Order: sequence, then structure tokens, then C-alpha cells
Amino acid sequence: MRLFHNYHYIASMLLFCIGLYTVIVRRNIIKKLIGLNIMETSVFLFLISLGYLDGGIAPIGIGGADPSRMVNPLPQALILTGIVVAVSVTALALALVILLYRQYGTLDVDRLFRDEETGGEEGEEKGETA
Amino acid sequence: MGAYRHFPVFMVTVPLVCAVLLPFLGYLRQKWVPWAAMLPLAFSSVLGLLLIGKIPAEGYLGYELGGWPPPWGIELRVDRVGHFLMLIVCGITLLALAFSRRYISREVSGGRLTAYYVLFLLMSGAMLGFVATGDVFNLFVFMEILALSSYALVAITGNRNAVRAAFKYVLMGAPSSIMVLLAIGFIYSATGTLNMADLTLRIADSRYSEVLIVAYILFVIGFGVKAALFPLHMWLPDAHSIAPSPISALLSGLLVEVSTFAIFRITFSVFSMGSSGLFASTLDAVGIFAAAAVLYGGIMAILQKDLKMMIAYSTVSHIGYIFLGITAMTAEGLTGAMYHMLDHGLAKACLFLCAGNFIFVKGYRRIEDLKGAWRQMPWTCFAFALASISVVAIPPTAGFISKWYLILGNIKGGNYAYVVVLLVGAILAAVYCFRIIYYMFFQPGKEGAWEGESRDAAPSMLAPVWVLSLGTLFFGILSYLLIPSLLDAMNFLL
Repeated sequence: MRLFHNYHYIASMLLFCIGLYTVIVRRNIIKKLIGLNIMETSVFLFLISLGYLDGGIAPIGIGGADPSRMVNPLPQALILTGIVVAVSVTALALALVILLYRQYGTLDVDRLFRDEETGGEEGEEKGETA
Repeated sequence: MGAYRHFPVFMVTVPLVCAVLLPFLGYLRQKWVPWAAMLPLAFSSVLGLLLIGKIPAEGYLGYELGGWPPPWGIELRVDRVGHFLMLIVCGITLLALAFSRRYISREVSGGRLTAYYVLFLLMSGAMLGFVATGDVFNLFVFMEILALSSYALVAITGNRNAVRAAFKYVLMGAPSSIMVLLAIGFIYSATGTLNMADLTLRIADSRYSEVLIVAYILFVIGFGVKAALFPLHMWLPDAHSIAPSPISALLSGLLVEVSTFAIFRITFSVFSMGSSGLFASTLDAVGIFAAAAVLYGGIMAILQKDLKMMIAYSTVSHIGYIFLGITAMTAEGLTGAMYHMLDHGLAKACLFLCAGNFIFVKGYRRIEDLKGAWRQMPWTCFAFALASISVVAIPPTAGFISKWYLILGNIKGGNYAYVVVLLVGAILAAVYCFRIIYYMFFQPGKEGAWEGESRDAAPSMLAPVWVLSLGTLFFGILSYLLIPSLLDAMNFLL
């Protein structure tokens, strides 16, 4: 029963693994970025559920509200910051994807990095890093 | 109580605030931007120098941001080791910025030029904050500012290879940041605090040791990608070799080191090691990877044909050294690791800036093209040779001192296999460094390679290179000024 009680932890860890799998395995770079966002969301879900309280109230201490019923505001503040960071990373990565697509004409990582071995200005030195 | 209590916060915030203001200046007077960008970093450096000897007896200088006392508010906490690293960051960023003025105007132009300086300042301020902070979540925020500005700086020239290298860096860097955030979530759920000093106390008597060990492993993987620890280093050679040379100097000389410092801090300040067997075995695994990094980086560096690729692989190898100092778990080993951060920062920044000089003056990137280079560019070549000597760790230089302490620390810790690895690493370094010195000084140049206008790089590009290479000599000869206080600080930590 304890396991079922903490189902939100299980859900967030499952999402984390799905995201990580997508980032590592998928060849399409847009899908990789989607995987990245799933990972981020899973961590946000995990953190936000830490501060959740069934039937909780907003943590504003005016009018003699009962402190034991307040939700924990700290994870919410953290997630707000985390979302800003996640949006910036996604925006930057998408900008790079646009540049990549313009210059290579493909979104497939294999084709993107195969080019490293055959062509390019300093192609042949980098074969093993691809 | 004195004004110096407020120095750490100004050292961090002034570059960050100035970075935001810089675009306005760029809009009005683009010509002034490179000079204006130097001011906040010079300001931070001066504050950092004034702070020497002012760290109070209890071992750190705390600063409550917004006046909220530590366990609730965010705290900046500069101890002796952090102060030492902040000074390194200030010095090297300032020199790389001075180098940039002439170099970067050829690689990028127009609005991107201002963007370059804005990102440069953001990166410098974030590195200072990353080292100074005493709050785990704040550490994450500074790490993200640092990471985002470095992704953008790798891609700043916008050519195909740069964009691809930056994207590879993002693909490895972004998931690692998320792992760090997850680790922070784990330790918050287990202890209910984010302040590092408070965490140390609460972790010591926490019931949730399984959660904490997972958090620790996630921290090591997350920061390990940023620090390019061996199996997670794949982004480094591309990003470091393709980025503009001053940025390579920052990435290689500082970014990987402050990330290593983050692992150091998480290990010794937050998890206060030595308590549990599982933490120790995690650290043992890190030691094995670090030893592999020393050998792999050294061998790959020997195989490279591109100068900047070679220096980048040498960085992979040297990060291994620093980690071997940390995993030795002795005061000497940790002192060696810290001193190696100083030496590696100076020497690698110098090597990358020298490579930048070769690219700027002649457009040569390949090692073969450097044959006979000293005839035309003697100053650059001699600085390169001096920094290489420090990389190889030959006596009067700082590289020798740091490696001496690394080996001493590993002998005291009883890790004789790592002593052998460190010595083999030095031999590999000698092979890849002396090959270039041999090419530069003792080989005839190719027909027409060094003819025409016989000119070394401009003084504004030679001065930073020489300051850095003389720095390796200076801190080698005068190491007795720093080593005792570092040893004290490390004994205090253990």
C-alpha cells in the first residue's frame, strides 16, 4: 500500500526514464528535444509533489490560517525557476536546430555526424568522437 | 566587521548586472563595448585581491542575501579554497577578455560582437557565483547560466562545425543539468533543506541513506558531464577545439574546473565523506574513471593532427589528474588537486590563446603547419613552450608542484596504482608536448609556409599569453606562499 500511496514518485521516475531513453535512442533531434522536455517535466512533477498537501491552502500567514494545512511553498519557488531555465534551454536548442537544418538539411543525428568523417574542413580527425 | 564582508556579493553580481546593461552601450557606441566589458571583471578582480587575508578565522566568509539568515535565505559562503578559485577565475577571464578584443572582431561582427561580450560577462559572473554560493539550488541556477552562455559562445561564429559542436554539447549538457536538479530534489526530500552547511548536519543523522546515495551518484554524473570526466567527455574535444580561442581558454581553463570544484564541494562540504561505505565505493569508481581519463586523454592527444584538438584531449587527461587528487582523500591529494586547477587553468588558457595566435596570424590549425614557426612568431612559440613544460610537469613550473602533491597524496592514501598512472600520464604529456616544441623550434618549415611578412601577433594578444605562461613559472617558484594555507584548509575539511 505504501508503494501505491507514493504513485506520484513512480510516475515521475517513469517519465524521467522515458525522457532519458528518448534523448539517448531517438535519431531525430526534435524528438531528442521533446525527450529532454519530458525529463524536465518529470523532475518538476517530483519536486512539486513534495510540497503537495491534500486539501492544503496557500501559504499566506494572514488571518490566523493554520500553518499545518499550508502547502510547502519552497518547491513551487524552485520549480518556477526551473521552468524558466528549461524554457531557455529549449529555446536555445531549437535555435541551434534551425541553424543545423539550414546548413546540413537534415534532422537525423546519424547523418548529421556521419558527415564528420567524410567531409567538412577538419573531418578526418574526428571520426572516433562521432 | 568591515566593508570586505560585502565583497563576495559584489564580485558575483557586478559582472552579471553589467552583462545585462552592455547591449545598451552596444546600441549607442559599439566601439566601447570591449573596453567596457573589462571594467566589471577588473572590479571583481580588485575586490578579490583585497579579500586576501580577510577570510575570518572560522574558515569562511558568509553573506546573507537579502538579510535572511542562512537556513532559510540564500547564503554566499567563500572559504579559503573558494576564494583561491575565485581569484583564478577573475584573472583568467580578464586575460581572455583582453585577448578577445582583437581576435574576435575577425570571427564575428555586427550585433553578434556585442552578444559575444554579453555572454562572456554572463559566463564569468556565473562562474564566480557558482564557486561562491552556499546553497544547493543556487548552485544549480548558476550552473545553468554558465551552461547556457557557454552553449551559445561555442556556436557564436555560426559556421557549420561550430553549430554542430554546440548542439552536441547541449545534448549532453542539458540532461546532466536535469540530473543535478533531480539530485537536489532527492536531497531536499530527504532532509528538507537546501543550505550546504545545514545539509551537512542533517545528512549526518538522516534515515534516508538510500535516497542520499542515489542523489550523490546523480550529482557526480551531472557535474561529471560538465567537468568532462572520462566516459562523459564526448562533447569536450569538439566544443573546445571549434569554439573561438579565448572561449576555448575559458572552457578548458575554467569551466571544467569549477565543475570539478562543485563535485569536490558536494563530496566534502555537503556529504562530509567517510561516513558510509557506499559513498566511498562511489568515489572509488570515480577514481577508476579518472585513471582511465588520464591514459585515454593522453593517448588521444598524441594521435591528434589538429592543434586545438590535441590541447582539448590533453584537458580530458588533466581533469583525470584533478579527480585522482580528490579521490585520494588526503590533505596532500586535495591540495594537489586545487593547485592543479590553478596550474591547469593558466597553462591550458595559455596554450589555447597561443593556438589562437597561430590561427589569427597565419590561419594554421594543423600541428604539421607549425614546423619552423619560431622564425616568424618567436614570442608565441616561447610562451607555448613554457606552458607546455608546465603541462608536462617539469620542475620550476606550477605543474610540477601540483603533480608532486597529487603523487604524495596518492602514496599517503595507499593508491600505488594511481601513482603509476600519474607518472605514465606525465610521460604521455611529454610525448604530445615535446613533439610540438620539436616541430616549432627544430624542424625546417615547409616551402613558403612562413614566408612573406614576418610578424608575430599584436602586443595586445601577446601580453595575455605571456602573463599566463609566466604565471605558471611564478606559481611554481613561489608555491610556498600558497601551499601551506591550502594544506591547512584541506586538513580543516577532512
